[in-house]
Amino acid sequence: MQGLLVLLIALPLVTALFTIVASGRFAQRIARISVAGTATTFLLATVFLWQALGGHAMQSVVLAQTWGILTVDPLSALLAFVISGISLIVHIYSVRYMAEETGYARFFAMLDLMTATLLLMVCAGDLITLLVAWHLVGVLLYFLLGQDMRSRSAHRYALWTFLTYRFGDLPLVLAAVLLFSAYDTWSLSEIFSRITADPLGHEFLGLPLPELVAALIALAAFARSAQFLLHTWLPYTMGGPTPVSALMHAGIVNAGGFLINRFAPVFVHAGDVLHWLFIVGLVTSLVGSVLMLAQNDVKKALGYSTMGQMGFMIMECGVGAFSLAIYHLIAHGLFKGTLFLGSGGVIKASRKDDGVPKDELYTFVVERRPPRQRQPWLLMALITLAVPISILVAAHLLVSQDFFQKQGAIVLLFFGWVTGAQLIFATYRMRTRNVWQLVTLIVFSFAVVVVGYTLISHAFDIFLYPDPGFRAQLYAAADVDIFWFDVLVVLMTLVVVSGWLLTYYAEQQGRRRARPLAGLWSSAYAVIAREFYVAALYGRLSASLMRAVNRINVLLRWA
Amino acid sequence: MLSYVTLALAALFLPLFPFSMVFNLLLSRVQRGWQRGLIILLWPHIGIGLLHVADIQVSPWVAVWGVLTALLYAARALGLRDMGAWMGFIVTSSWALLWVAEAFGPGGELTHLYAVTFAVPLVLFALLGEGLTRRYGAAYTGLYVGLASSLPRFSLVLVLVVLAAVATPLFPGFFAMLALMLDTVPHSTATAVALALVWLLWSGAGMRLLTDLIVGQPGSTEVSDLGYASTSGFLVGLGSLVIAGLYLVGGMS
Repeated sequence: MQGLLVLLIALPLVTALFTIVASGRFAQRIARISVAGTATTFLLATVFLWQALGGHAMQSVVLAQTWGILTVDPLSALLAFVISGISLIVHIYSVRYMAEETGYARFFAMLDLMTATLLLMVCAGDLITLLVAWHLVGVLLYFLLGQDMRSRSAHRYALWTFLTYRFGDLPLVLAAVLLFSAYDTWSLSEIFSRITADPLGHEFLGLPLPELVAALIALAAFARSAQFLLHTWLPYTMGGPTPVSALMHAGIVNAGGFLINRFAPVFVHAGDVLHWLFIVGLVTSLVGSVLMLAQNDVKKALGYSTMGQMGFMIMECGVGAFSLAIYHLIAHGLFKGTLFLGSGGVIKASRKDDGVPKDELYTFVVERRPPRQRQPWLLMALITLAVPISILVAAHLLVSQDFFQKQGAIVLLFFGWVTGAQLIFATYRMRTRNVWQLVTLIVFSFAVVVVGYTLISHAFDIFLYPDPGFRAQLYAAADVDIFWFDVLVVLMTLVVVSGWLLTYYAEQQGRRRARPLAGLWSSAYAVIAREFYVAALYGRLSASLMRAVNRINVLLRWA
Repeated sequence: MLSYVTLALAALFLPLFPFSMVFNLLLSRVQRGWQRGLIILLWPHIGIGLLHVADIQVSPWVAVWGVLTALLYAARALGLRDMGAWMGFIVTSSWALLWVAEAFGPGGELTHLYAVTFAVPLVLFALLGEGLTRRYGAAYTGLYVGLASSLPRFSLVLVLVVLAAVATPLFPGFFAMLALMLDTVPHSTATAVALALVWLLWSGAGMRLLTDLIVGQPGSTEVSDLGYASTSGFLVGLGSLVIAGLYLVGGMS
């Protein structure tokens, strides 16, 4: 099996090299070789996942004395399966999609290199291999986004992405250096076992080492996963080919979630950092979702939607639901990849027919006029509140007596509830002839979402973190003071209830009255439409930096 | 007194600002690619040799001065359009970091190895710069664009050489930077963070240069691409650099 592990990463590398060398001889048929190589890689990844599901022990290959360790554990097996699967879909899609583009062979070679690098990243068993892969993802992404060598705008934003990724590489380098200085080994498993044995054994700058390392890892994850203030590259990288957007949103941008999970044995001793993850994730998900709603460009809206989802993923890590974040990144990867790959078809179809029926949904969403008849408002609001409470009570009675005391379980249920509430809001805006049929559908879907969230999370928990003690430790590390936890729960409940009240108010009032806060609303919209001026601020800062260095260069006579 | 003179001389050959200006002025006077390459290969070893012969213990403040010099030149490289000057600034920035190796690291032969590690990609860069001058009359960004379309083989080599020069993995510069950070962290966190910033600025300067050269609609000037033999030579050279780096600096042995 060790040979297969090396082959898993070497195969896309070999096909990349072969694609470049033999492109002259095979012309566009070279893509078939690349696709065949990726399909074989996917099969290999499937074998590893199968083994991991069967409970096989972790496997490792050591390629050199001090580093070059490849490891397959449940996390890497699962993500290798997802990455190679998405890569295979992107490869197949690109065969025809890229056929008329220049640099056809180069594109497939770069895709193969990216696949190999991502697989290396998830299978890295030591810090140097992880650093190499982490760094190379940014470099390869620059060239993939800038596939069209004549497009200066595509390269401008690819450069922006590259610089953000490089910024994110540096905290990871510092974390690696700190860990090596403390434990004198690059091996991740060795470092983790020593941290577990003695979490407070090392300090740096007066801080426990796990806290400091976790903070640096979190910063690296923020840059990779487009968290607020490090997000500006994401919505602007739409100049690249659509298959690259699909791969990026499905398998690259969510690497922050992977990184945090990989360093879970460090985060388990860094409760404060977990709270910061929660706050940053929350802000990012809010900002991303708000900005998404303000876009009129489909791909840019998808970019901001990804930002919001990445915030959600980081927030899940922040509450200790590490495995749920992995489930989230996989689910998001699949649906966002599908959206991107289908976006071209949607745009083409909309050129012929905008496809928007002039029904009540249209008048509500586009013309902002409420429909005359609605589903029973109060019933919907009650379902939103009643279902999670009934599940909570049922769990209390049937599963465990101390369910209410488990903050982690409540948190999971809460995520399910918020998602379910969104579902009901969305469904409420629809119109149907049979109200009770819709209500049944809503109750069923809501229960599926809430229960599903909890069950899937539990299944992922058992697969990724089989040690129940460690799982409990993770949730315990993320525990917040009970007062603030309750405040947060009440706040979120108020947000959902206010959403229903606003909907009710809008429905009752419609446009009959002028909005009293119209001016404030317009100003807020202007700020949102300008994306909170973050990109503009960075643009100013970079222009100032360039002016300053040019002045210095002139002053020092270019020497 | 003698040690101060030696230190000042070493600061000329392992460029510390403002002594670094001498090296860059000299480099700008040399036009031939191979001559520039030779200077880049030999220059820092004189400085390292002086330090070793005089047995000078480099103080931490000199290392900090070195890192500040590296920061200054890495930042200044962001605004450059002349490939020759860019090469001079990046090499100055990287050699200034050798003071860190001497102050905080084991020094000795390893400093010589780091010097070679940083210099070799820039020697290849000097040769490519001469190639561009021969084709277009100047190696200057903004005068011509779209090399990826007009000179695809040349562009491939240029991209790899620039990536090597800015310490991208798996080129040896990456391992050298990692080793320098390892040496620095126990002594000064701020210096280690500054080192990381230097690395970031190199990457920015490298990618800006590449973007300005290889991207865009190529002009109508007919120029010949790099020959297959030359391309193979460069690629073999870069491949050897990676393998040598993995074994000599990367600890793969």
